This record gives sequence, C-alpha cells and structure tokens, in this order.
Amino acid sequence: MQSWRRKSLWLALLASWLLVLLGLFPLLRLAVPTSPRAGAPQGWPRWLDAELLQSFAKPGELLEDGPRPPQALRGGSCNWGACFDTSKCRGGGLKVFVYPAAGPVSETRRKILASVEGSRYHTLSAAEACLLLLLSPDTSTGECDPVPPQWDGGRNHLVLSLHPAPCPRTFQLGQAMVAEASPTVDTFRPGFDVALPLLPEAHPLRGGVPGQLRQHSPRPGVALLALAEDGGRWHVAGTDFSACPWDGRCEQDRGPKQTHPGATLPNATFCLIPGRGPDVLHFLQALQAGCIPVLLSPRWELPFSEVIDWTKAAIVADERLPLQVLTALQEMPLTRVLALRQQTQFLWDAYFSSVEKVIHTTLEIIQDRIFGPSAHPSLLWNSPPGAILALPTFSPSPSDFPFYHLQQGSRPLGRFSALIWAGALGQPPLKLIQAVAGSEHCAQILVLWSSEKPPPTGWPKTAVPLTVIDGHRKVSDRFFPYSAISTDAILSLDAHSSLSTSEVDFAFVVWQSFPERMVGFLTWSHFWDEARGGWGYTAKRTNEFSMVLTSAAFYHRYYHTLFTHALPKALRTLADEAPTCVDVLMNFLVASVTKLPPIKVPYGMWHQEARPPPLEPGGPGLRQEPQPAAQNCINQMAAGFGHMPLVSSRLRLDPVLFKDPVSVLHPRLLHEAA
Amino acid sequence: MCASVKYNIRGPALIPRMKTKHRIYYITLFSIVLLGLIATGMFQFWPHSIESSSDWSVQKRSIRDVPVVRLPADSPVPERGDLSCRMHTCFDVYRCGFNPKNKIKVYIYSLKKYVDDAGVPVSSTISQEYNELLTAVADSDYYTEDIARACLFIPSIDLLNQNALRVKETAQALAQLSRWDRGTNHLLFNMLPGGPPDYNTALDVPRDRPRRYFLLSSQMALHPEYREELAALQARHGEAVLVLDKCTNLSEGIPAARKRCHKHQVFDYPQVLQEATFCVVLRGARLGQAVLSDVLRAGCIPVIIADSYILPFSEVLDWKRASVAVPEEKMSDVHGILQSIPQRQIEEMQRQARWFWEAYFQSIKAIALATLQIINDRIYPYAAISYEDWNDPPSVKWGSVSNPLFLPLIPPQSQGFTAIVLTYDRVESLFRVITEVSKVPSLSKLLVVWNNQNKNPPEDSLWPKIRVPLKVVRTAENKLSNRFFPYDEIETEAVLAIDDDIIMLTSDELQFGYEVWREFPDRLVGYPGRLHLWDHEMSKWKYESEWTNEVSMVLTGAAFYHKYFNYLYTYKMPGDIKNWVDAHMNCEDIAMNFLVANVTGKAVIKVTPRKKFKCPECTAIDGLSLDQTHMVERSECINKFASVFGTMPLKVVEHRADPVLYKDDFPEKLKSFPNIGSL
Repeated sequence: MQSWRRKSLWLALLASWLLVLLGLFPLLRLAVPTSPRAGAPQGWPRWLDAELLQSFAKPGELLEDGPRPPQALRGGSCNWGACFDTSKCRGGGLKVFVYPAAGPVSETRRKILASVEGSRYHTLSAAEACLLLLLSPDTSTGECDPVPPQWDGGRNHLVLSLHPAPCPRTFQLGQAMVAEASPTVDTFRPGFDVALPLLPEAHPLRGGVPGQLRQHSPRPGVALLALAEDGGRWHVAGTDFSACPWDGRCEQDRGPKQTHPGATLPNATFCLIPGRGPDVLHFLQALQAGCIPVLLSPRWELPFSEVIDWTKAAIVADERLPLQVLTALQEMPLTRVLALRQQTQFLWDAYFSSVEKVIHTTLEIIQDRIFGPSAHPSLLWNSPPGAILALPTFSPSPSDFPFYHLQQGSRPLGRFSALIWAGALGQPPLKLIQAVAGSEHCAQILVLWSSEKPPPTGWPKTAVPLTVIDGHRKVSDRFFPYSAISTDAILSLDAHSSLSTSEVDFAFVVWQSFPERMVGFLTWSHFWDEARGGWGYTAKRTNEFSMVLTSAAFYHRYYHTLFTHALPKALRTLADEAPTCVDVLMNFLVASVTKLPPIKVPYGMWHQEARPPPLEPGGPGLRQEPQPAAQNCINQMAAGFGHMPLVSSRLRLDPVLFKDPVSVLHPRLLHEAA
Repeated sequence: MCASVKYNIRGPALIPRMKTKHRIYYITLFSIVLLGLIATGMFQFWPHSIESSSDWSVQKRSIRDVPVVRLPADSPVPERGDLSCRMHTCFDVYRCGFNPKNKIKVYIYSLKKYVDDAGVPVSSTISQEYNELLTAVADSDYYTEDIARACLFIPSIDLLNQNALRVKETAQALAQLSRWDRGTNHLLFNMLPGGPPDYNTALDVPRDRPRRYFLLSSQMALHPEYREELAALQARHGEAVLVLDKCTNLSEGIPAARKRCHKHQVFDYPQVLQEATFCVVLRGARLGQAVLSDVLRAGCIPVIIADSYILPFSEVLDWKRASVAVPEEKMSDVHGILQSIPQRQIEEMQRQARWFWEAYFQSIKAIALATLQIINDRIYPYAAISYEDWNDPPSVKWGSVSNPLFLPLIPPQSQGFTAIVLTYDRVESLFRVITEVSKVPSLSKLLVVWNNQNKNPPEDSLWPKIRVPLKVVRTAENKLSNRFFPYDEIETEAVLAIDDDIIMLTSDELQFGYEVWREFPDRLVGYPGRLHLWDHEMSKWKYESEWTNEVSMVLTGAAFYHKYFNYLYTYKMPGDIKNWVDAHMNCEDIAMNFLVANVTGKAVIKVTPRKKFKCPECTAIDGLSLDQTHMVERSECINKFASVFGTMPLKVVEHRADPVLYKDDFPEKLKSFPNIGSL
C-alpha cells in the first residue's frame, strides 16, 4: 500500500514536471514571438517578384542624352579653372609679385611684406609674376588703395588681408581671389578663396612662440572644458558643469571662477568656442594651448580648410545638440584625445605660429593648385613636419621622404651613397675610400671635387661605383641634390675624415632606425652665453651635444633638396662665407624639421686601440674651438630662423655589446661585435 | 533537476502523513495530469496557422499587391528646395537627439503605388536598384521601423532616374508623406544609369598588363566644341590618344551601348577602357557622369574636365588621389599635364581608383551605406570616420602604424617620473628598493602596489622615510597585470616599473634611463635586453636571453615607459593575452613589449650594458633545468602573442643608449653619469 502510494506520488510528480516542461515551451513560444512578430515587418519586405523588377534605366538610355555646350563664365562664381590663368606659371612655377606699399607702412603690413619677400616664390618683376599680391588697406593708415596698375579685372590677383577690412573696397574684386581672416561661409568660394586665421596684432614675424603643450597626455585633474568669453578670456569650467550652460548665459553658479586677465591661454582639455564672429580669435589661442577646440556650428570658414583636415585637431559640432556634445567629450576615448591634442600642436607649429608661416602656407596652397596632380598629398599637409617643409617636387610618393615610413608601412632603402667633399686636396683619400667601400651597405661613392685644380686621375679600384662630380667651389654645394645620388641615405664625408668600415656599418644600421635624423660621429654643443648675450657653440667634449659634424654623418637625401630649395638664400650665402657655418646651418635645418636632437655614435675607440686624432691637423679645423666669426654665425642663423631650433641630447647609441667585459670573455661575441 | 533532487531528500518525511483513503484523490490528480499532457501535446503539434500566415503577409509579398494612392490634381506641390540650405540651418538635428551609440536612425516609408486622377501611374512602382538600395538600408544598423524615433527618412518613391520622372506628380506624392515637412531630414536618391547591367563578368582587370592608350575618350554625346578639341588632341599625339564615338554602321542586333567606334574601327565597350591609362570624363548632358563609374571599374584613371562637377562622395573621398582634374579652359593642355605625372604616381592613382570603386561604388549596397555613413559623420562629428579610414586602401592600412604619441616632443625634466613597485611580501627587499630609488633626483612619486590580499602592508611608521610622496595601493587579486594598471595616483607621464628585488641599479643608471626616456617618450626604455629569434627547425619563434648583438625586448623588471601604455595594456590588449598572462603568472613583460611595438612600430631602447638583474657574477650553472623550462615558457609566450597579434611586431636593433661620454677618455668626475657600466 505504502509502495503503491509512493509510486503514484512519484508518477504524479513526474507527470506534473513533464506537464510543466511541455506546457512552458508553448507558453514561451507565445511569449517570445511577440518580438519576432513585431519585428516581422522589420526591414524592407523581400518582394516575391523582386527578380522581375525592371532596372531603373534601360540599356543605352544615355545615348539619347543631349550634349551640353561648355559653360560660359558667369560673374561672381569664379572658380580656379575659369578665373586663374596658369599658363603664366608654366616653367618656373609660382612667382609672386607684391605691390609696393604707398605711404607709411604699418607693422602688420611690414611683416607680410617681409614674409613674401623671404619666400622662395617672390619675384621683383610684375611682368614675370603669375600671382600678383595686393595687400588690403590697413587698419592704422586708414587709406584705401586705388586700383593697382596691372589689375586686369583682378585676374591672377590675390587680395590679402590679415584683418577685416576697415573701409569698403573702392573697386570690384572681379576675378581676384580673396585671402582673408575667417571669412563667412556664405561668401567663401571653396577652392578659389583662401581662409586665413585671424591673427592677433602682435603676432611674431618669424619663428613664433612654440605650442604650450609640454606633454602628450592631459594632466590628471585638469579641467575638461574651458569656455571662450568676450575679451579674449577663458572661463575654465570645473568638473561639474551640469549647472552651467553653454553659450555663456550662465551667470549664477560660476563657483571658483578662474578668468585670466588679458589674452591668456586656457588650461583645459577641450575649449568650447561658439560659432559667432568675435570668437574667432579664441580659436588660435586654443590651438596654441593644445586645448582641443570644440566649435559650435561656426559661421566662418576654418583657416586653410582647403588643405588642413580639421577633423584631426578640432571638433565641429552642432550647437543645437549641446548635451550630446558634452557627453561625447566626457566619453571620448583617451586615444582620440591624445591624437587631437598632438595634432593641435603640430598645426600650430607648422602653419600658424608666425606671420611668415601663415603667408607661406597661403602661397603653398596656390602653388598646389597650380601643380594640380603633383601637389602635396593630404598626408603631407596633415602630419609632421607639415607641407611647408615637405616639398612635393622631391617625390610624388610619401615613402621617399624620411618622415612617413610608419604611416606608409615602408622602410628606407637598405644602402647608402658616400658623398666625399674634396676641397683643397692633392691626393685622393685612398684610406677613406677603401674603408667606406668595404661596407656591405655602400651602394656608390661620389667625390665632389671642389678644388681649382683638376681632379687627379689615380682613383682606386673599388667594389662599388665611384663617380667624381665637379663642384662649384662653394661650400653650400656639398648639400646640393645631385641627381647621381641614388639612395635614401647619404654618408657625408670630408676628404680628411677617417673612419673604419665597422664604424660606417654600425652608424648606417642606426640611421635606418632614425631615418629623419642625422647620425654622426663628432659633435658640437650650443649654449647660451650670458656674458655676450648671445648663442655660442663649442667643440669641447661635454655631457651633451646638439649638432653633429657633416664631415662624417649619415642623413636622408631629402635634406639636400630642402637645403637647396627651401632655405632662404641669405642663410646659404652666409654659410658660403664662413665654411664652418655650413655645419651649423645643416643642423639648424634638420632640427627645425624634426624638432629632435641628432644622434651620436661612438667614434675612434672601437677596438680600444690607439688611433690618430679624429681629424688631421691640416683639416678644416673642425676639432678646434670655433672662431669668433663662426660664433657669430650661430646667432645670425638663429635670427634667420626666428628661434633656436637646436635640441640637446645626453645619450650616445653604442653597439649592444660595446666595451663590454663579456665580449672580452667570449671571443665569439667580440668577433660579432666588431 | 535541482528541484527534484531536493524533493528526494524531503520525500521520506512527507510520505508517512499520507492516508490510504486519499487514493481517489491521487487517481484524480493523475488523470488531470494525463489530460494536461495530452492537451499540451495537441497544442504543440497543431499547425499554427495564425503565425505562418502573418509571416507570409509581411515577408513575402508581391509588388502588385502594393496599396494604390490616388493623387488629386490639386493636391499641394511642395515649395522649391532652398539652395542655401546648410546642415545647421535646414537639417533638424533634434530628431537625432536620442539615438544611441552615435548612429542615426533611418525610417523607410512603406511602398505605395501612386496614380494620378486618371489612374495613370506616376512612375514605375520601384526599380530593381532602388529595391536593392532600400533592402541594404533596412538590413543595416541604421534602420528603424519606429517613425517617431527616426532622424532620417527615405521615401520609397523611386527617383533614381530623372528621365522617367513626372516631376509635378512626384512632388505631390512626396508632399503627402506623413513626415515630409518641407523635406526636412528626408534623403532622396537620384542616380544616373550606369553601363548596361550585364557586363561585369567580362571585366576583371589584369593589373600588370601595359595599357595601349595613354588617353582615351569614350563618351558619345559630346558637344561639337569638345569633339573638335579631342580631335585636335588626337591629331597632335597620334596613337597614344584614342577618341571614340557612337558607331553609325552597326549591324542589327548588336546593342549600340556596348560598342564604340573610331572611324571604321569598332571597339567593345567598356572593355576598351582597360586599354587606357587615363580616361576623359567630359561635361555631358548632366553633370553626373555614368562614364565615371565605367572608368573606375576598368581601373582607368579618370581625367575630369568639367569645372563645377562635384565628384561623388567628395566630402570624404580624396579624389586627388584617384583622378586628375583639368579645368575646362586647359583642355588643350591635357596631354602635357598628364605627361608630367610620374609613373609611380600613376600606379598609385590606378590602385586608388580601383579601391574607391570596390569600396564605395561597386554595388548599390556600397553606395547606400557610404551615403548614410557620410550623413552620420555630419551629425556625430566626434565619432566620424577618419580621412585614412575612408581613403587608404587596405594594403596601406595593414602595413601602416599610427603612433599614438606622434608629436616630436621632449617632455620637461622637471616633471619627473613615478616609480611603481609591485610587491607581494618581500618587505625587507622592498624597503631597500624604495630607499635606493628615492635617491634618483627626478623621482617625483613612489607607488607601491601591494599584491598580497592575505597580509596587510606594514604600518606607516615602518616605511622608509623618503623625500617624495609614497602611496600604497592594495589590489583585489594577486595578478601580474596589476603592475600595468593606469592608477589615478600616477600624475607624471613617465612611469618606472620596478620589481621589489631590483637593488643593483644605481641612482645614476636610473636617472640616465629617465633622461633617455625623455628623448624617446613613445618607447619602452629598459636595462637588460632580450631577443626573439626564428627557429628554422621548429618553424616557430624562440626566446633568447644569450648576450647577443641584438635587442628586441627589454625586461620590465625595471623599465621606463609612457603611462598611456598602462591604459592600453589594461583596456586595449588584443585577444585574451591579459587573462592568459594572469593565469600563467608569466610573460607580462613580453606582452608589454609586443603591445608597445605594435602600436608605435618602433623598437625598444636598451640602456647601459646591464644584462641581468640578479647576481651578475653567477653564470647559468645554478638551476640549469629551471632555466630551460623558463626559456620554453617564454618562447611559448612569444608564439602565442604573435598569433594573437597576427604579426610579429617586435623590431630588432643593434644599439643601446649610453651617456655621451661613457667609457670615453675623460675625467670621471666631470661626467654626468659616472656610476654606470657594471653588468
């Protein structure tokens, strides 16, 4: 009885479980289908007869299209193709003539004139120019210029004004292009006009203040947002800005307000700039401060928008969605914040920090339009060192430059050309040629013969081709971009230099890791001389260095192009006059491009054996203390660049087992290290 | 299952209370259960006609069943579009206010057939392409069927072909859409017919074949002025330029659209485009050019001679990389302009043109998605796709590295570094490390990560007194990855990770290491170096700690690096590497080396000759077998990480960094870092 009862109980239990299980499923199925059923019309219906649908156009329909005549030029809608005559720029490329100023010249105008005249595009003759630059009337003089003589309806003219014009134009712009500070989007003609930044009155001519960013990532605890206020001030919002609205209307809760008097720079991660006109000035401030500009529906065209990809450095958001923007800023991943911050600094340093850079960028944009297909690619404009320092005439392919190997996933070519500069010399530098030719990485040896005497004939037989080039007896010639140079790397040598093959090999391998820098053996360091109130440099051995001597150094061949085509002529002349200056100039050039120190590799003590002093006593005195004239040259260079670009380094790159007791203990390693 | 087991346990306790007379009760219960079972079964297996029929009606419908809408002749016509519209004036962003994940929501009006008063259809209901387009939109993440949540509206009225459009009636049809509102937030697609739809099989461009013609023009309906110019070009440059026109004497049955003629020579179109390097796209009847897509597909570089032509997707696509724009006025110079383009750039442009075609134009779906992405980027600019993502072909994307710390910048020395000591319970050794590290001039803070959950760190009073702030962080779990956590306490950019038993590094060595880091802030700067090697016999990677001439990794037992890499290690480490390291309690340093090399594309910097952290005197005599297993484990790590990263990111270099005057013949007391150089 008991067992029956128990059994039935068990049965009932089992059955009820089954019931529950079986019953639940349909219930579940009833519960779940509500979503598929609601979602059933999800998507566009799959038509049964979709296969039978006709194409939207019958084959050959276009045959019936009527032809359209070439468009006649309509007034007011100038574009580059129609209103600019590039035939004048054929051959020599862009040549710029600037109308001389009549009457007193204001400070800003003087800066612009100096910048144009310092440009490699400047010409003194209006006849050979293909771009005529007309400076807009000045604020201070208040005079409105009459129509210039070669006006010709404004054809090939660029009307440039760094500040909004104070008086109405007395003439029709016609076909002239306009380069003005923050033009409104309504009148701006993309691809024809140029949008300039609105510069403060006291903007420096050259060099300029470097960006304020001293570190890559924002400091912990720094304010997220700074708001632009009238009068060039910033209101740094605390971390809690829920109480404070956007467009400066919040008057009640300003809390510990940190407004700075005058035009100080904001200290925050993002800088909020309303899109109205008077706030334009804030934009550059934010850029300089490394504070990511957040522009709310700007009504003005962003500066140089034709070439600069502003999405990489600023955020242009819709002013109607402030809360969404705020959330987006708060949640922005650190990676993007880092990238935006660094880009603001790069752009500031490359295009905005001085009047000269702004003017040169403007001319570079016009030059790019003339170049058409061989203009700067977007990469050259938007990554360091920037388009002014990356000449598109050098190569159409970014991977030929020393700067873009990472972005391009490329590597510099695996060999080098030795360029031996032979000034006053009777005999070929046999030992040096043997040592260099012995390197497995050497592709060719070029001897630049710069002596009055004809080159000797007894050149040694080497494994690599040896070519003698006749130089022009100018020191700056050693940095001419000779077409014979076939490799990315150049080993620049003096006939007096003395190097061993293993030194050359090691230095070249190091250069391959740093193709944008100079890798050298002998160094100088610069210092600020308090007593004389100027820069000085010394060849004494110190704990740091900032220059390497080009009498024995590896660098990229692009620097020859840059040296010859981008440096102001005055500086090159200076170098020709004082030969030691040429080293300083080359180091200035590379440092101003890379913003990094050169690299030193060990010299003359490789095998721990006695070696002659690095340079023969009869050499150009590179180990001696520079002469006063040469000391002066560094100051002239610094003035020419507008700042001191040299950066000091405190390290030397040695072979991994260099001077290592272990390599002494293990002969095999010593052998490998050598 | 769980419940029945419980019952089993309780069962015996219940049963004694049951009584015999309850038998009836049990039987009743049993029958009810049985009935229930049967009923359930019936329900289960009964055909569910309601559901399937609803499926049928929604998913599988015929276009002929589409509801018909009659448009009265006097129904309102929408006002003309405002040509000065801008995104911030005419687009209503408020509708996009509540879209999650920075994605716009798109609504598609259901398909209707519009007829006029006389019952004549306004247009064909829908074309094959428009149906494809709407299907692509509906299948994408953008689609919503909730009209109230949508921010963008796509009418199902087919406007693709202007030729077939009855403009006024179509406008009326648009105006009566439920959310039309003068067209705000509505997206209309209008395309030009491309080539004949059946020719793609014939076109698979052989890449390396030399192209016969330098410049080719294949358009048929051209203005005589252009024709004259083209003829003059051909006359001047001979064979290199080919100008084609409509064929006049074709026999019946050959579709005229697939043939082009030059004088009496007949060419297959569009195959002939593959024979040319550059293909002219001239101003035709409309600005939008069907020939452009044919040209792109053939891998020919378009030469755009149409001044006000806005190229497709030009807002995001950099057409300068894939085409040549020649002003109409300079048409006669076109040959010279093209001739001046170097061969390498031509190849680059061909590749780019091909990539644009494949990524954005080759299917209706690609076109639809690119369109929506552009609008999405406008509305959520802070989440927009970058220039590189739009424009770089995949081959470039794979090889390229975008260094997160790309700005050349030497941080000021004054900032100093934060030392992070990971420790478990070696308090004595830890205190020695703290004392040693605190002697480094640039140290600005010391952070001890206490990884022992079972033991409290020593009392405050017991810690060594040092000149910089000392913080102790207690962790929740004993994990190796705690060493690389981006603690809020780290205020400097430079981080020195140091083990609690590294006491042999001198103050000079550490200070110099920091100076080196300042010059290479995007790299790992460490002391003992290690190398990875390819083992040809085993066909896999091998870990090498022998004293070789090369370095590809540094040990993080003492290494300087940017604190951003802590963030990357903790939150962006690919695959399961982080958990794998924590589970194996090994290789966290190799993982860090991989991570940094992968994201920066750069090698480590080994500083000073130091090779070992522990007992530099002793060689590998003690614990040889232990060393062996250690090596095998480390090698396994390298192979594991290389497979997760999908590549070997480590870079091998032959240099290390020493002070400028290291081992120079120079008075030691004048050197900045004299106390360097022991192994």
